[in-house]
Amino acid sequence: MKLSFSPEDEAFRREVADWLKENLRGEFEQLKFRGGPGDEHMFAEERQRWEQKLAEGGWTCVGWPKEHGGRGCSIEQQVIFHEEYARAGAPGRVGHIGEGLAGPTIIAFGSEAQQKKYLPGILAGTELWCQGYSEPGAGSDLANVKTRARFDEAKGKWILNGQKVWTSLAQESDYCFVIARTDPESKGHKGLGFFLVSMHQPGIEVRGIQQITGTSEFNEVFFDDAECDAEDIVGQPGDGWKVAMGLLGFERGVSTLGQQMQFQNELNEIVRIAKENGAAQNPAIRQRIAQAHTELKIMRYNSMRMLSGQSGSDGSLQKEALIYKLFWATWHRSLGELAMDVLGPESQILEAAPYELSRLQSMYLFVRSDTIYGGTNEIQRNIIAERGLGMPREPRPA
Amino acid sequence: MDFTFTDDQQLFCESVRDFLQAEVTPESVREGWDSASGRNETLWQQLVEMGLTGMLVPESHGGMGMSELDFVLLAQECGRVALPEPLVETALVAVPLLANLAEKDPRCASLLEKIAAGETRVAIGHAANNLVSDAHIADWLLLPKGDQVHLLASDQVGLTAQQSIDPSRRLFSVEWHGDDETRLASGAEGVSLLAASLNRGALGAAAQLLGLAEAMVEMTVRYTEERHQFGRPVGANQALKHLMANCAVKSEFAKAPLYRAAYTLSESPSHADFAVSHAKVAAGEAALLAAKNCIQAHGAMGYTWECNLHIFMKRAWALDKFWGHAGFHKNRLHQWLMNPNAKIGADKTFGVQG
Repeated sequence: MKLSFSPEDEAFRREVADWLKENLRGEFEQLKFRGGPGDEHMFAEERQRWEQKLAEGGWTCVGWPKEHGGRGCSIEQQVIFHEEYARAGAPGRVGHIGEGLAGPTIIAFGSEAQQKKYLPGILAGTELWCQGYSEPGAGSDLANVKTRARFDEAKGKWILNGQKVWTSLAQESDYCFVIARTDPESKGHKGLGFFLVSMHQPGIEVRGIQQITGTSEFNEVFFDDAECDAEDIVGQPGDGWKVAMGLLGFERGVSTLGQQMQFQNELNEIVRIAKENGAAQNPAIRQRIAQAHTELKIMRYNSMRMLSGQSGSDGSLQKEALIYKLFWATWHRSLGELAMDVLGPESQILEAAPYELSRLQSMYLFVRSDTIYGGTNEIQRNIIAERGLGMPREPRPA
Repeated sequence: MDFTFTDDQQLFCESVRDFLQAEVTPESVREGWDSASGRNETLWQQLVEMGLTGMLVPESHGGMGMSELDFVLLAQECGRVALPEPLVETALVAVPLLANLAEKDPRCASLLEKIAAGETRVAIGHAANNLVSDAHIADWLLLPKGDQVHLLASDQVGLTAQQSIDPSRRLFSVEWHGDDETRLASGAEGVSLLAASLNRGALGAAAQLLGLAEAMVEMTVRYTEERHQFGRPVGANQALKHLMANCAVKSEFAKAPLYRAAYTLSESPSHADFAVSHAKVAAGEAALLAAKNCIQAHGAMGYTWECNLHIFMKRAWALDKFWGHAGFHKNRLHQWLMNPNAKIGADKTFGVQG
């Protein structure tokens, strides 16, 4: 065990900090601390230009291997990059689904042709991705997907029909990775395929879903004879579930580091307000702030510990990773409540009409969804109990 | 000892509930979000005709001469439908304040008659809230300044609208200058009137919070029967049953302190702080837990604007912070508990504040 960074890593830290200081200004100044949870729809274009700025400096996909165009950063350096990124107040990444999910999946499971076709756009920040998993009838029961993919011999293409829902950033995205049923007779996690689908085609329609924040980060995506090239299925027809589960491993890996830094910024903001408006005088509030701090540190330490022990990059889940979603989502939801209690009666007054929320109000409302998306708390507890502890499985209909 | 409501109280509550359930629907609440005033004058006149605005107006001034205890169940029903109209603040808070001054001030006596008849609307401010709700439709405003209570006509004040997290609420900061003419009370009398207003406001908020909590649980239980995953209703899962059961326990156990507070406020209004604070804390916890667990049980649907759940969640979040937030009321409770004269012994179950 060695809980410190080497002189080389500290030099890397200065390099990141200097670059951000040099570049996060001018037209990008307005993006500081924007684009976080509940604010993801803001400055979409400007943030994509920022993504490209990062790419120019070689700061996208820092954890990807060099042979795939990444920076090949060690875990330590990725940690440092995320710390400095958050400390500088750099904005939420519009490219995170490509960088954190699509890219690593294509690297791990994709063909060489797919890697050549898709990785450069992610690296350059020019092509954005979204995730086509959930459906109206397939939320917690993800294996119940009904979207169908049929191979059209004449066209030499896959033809997709169905509907996805809760798709973040769909309206901004160039591509979507989609799980769809390749074998119409199949049920559950068998007979699925994992497809890389262009969003720019007549067979796809995106409709925003208005949320309780009044904004529409999430979307419905309709596939009506949408086309996907024969070579854009990842793995074989029937491999979809395996690929999708591998991807979930990435979702709970390094990408959590940036999220925790975002959390740290939110907690700092709450502490600042508590000091300013006197809420910090209240012992009950002080204790909750201390509690929030200690739990955030637990997440942080646990991530480091988990990442230190991670061998291989097949995305396989370790036991520690199983507990993470439940912990952060529940923590974040409580942080929203703490924020509102620190603000007191002021918390119910918005910035302006119509329905313009402050950063913390947005956060408060948005975090109500944290314990739901990506596997609800209830599903997470079942996973911990059944897969982590080996307890008997919930009864499931055949 | 009898900890129940009378048949008359329950029958009246049922008829009000039936009326509100029929007239105040999620659709009608949403219509209000998009209208300038956010209020429905026809509905208000129907509430007037049922005698609701005049419930606590003395009979000598054209009202029903009833008490907080008679009104508390109705306030709960207002919460159950997320009624946007300011019935609770008018009937339960503004009216008793005016009634206390009616003997010595003919303006107050006249306002009471007009409120009961539906001819006048009165909004009430309090230091606990900063903002005044429904000031835009009020003909008169009751406003505090230190230990003084003033009465101003709508053309004597300047209003600035403030957007609430609950799209049904209409909140205003009020700019005004009182003088000898507008002053209704001051000194010890003013302090005592304002303290009583705070307690009535908090009681009304607590009752609505409880109604909101029950409404949220009811609609969520229905949803978990309809929504299927893994080939069965999601409500068949123990995890969701437990979420709802925890809400039911909180709500059911918030009723006793709520009704006790209504009783104490009716019988012994100057000794009711602790009982009211207990009710507000318990009902606030029940409503916030219901908001949290119900959105969870709804899954992603509960997070959409289209789903009716947020009508109730946002009202709960707003009312929990109005008329004293949980921290304020817990402070009052512990200050009372630590008081050497506090009547908290084994034989003081129904003891009132010293």
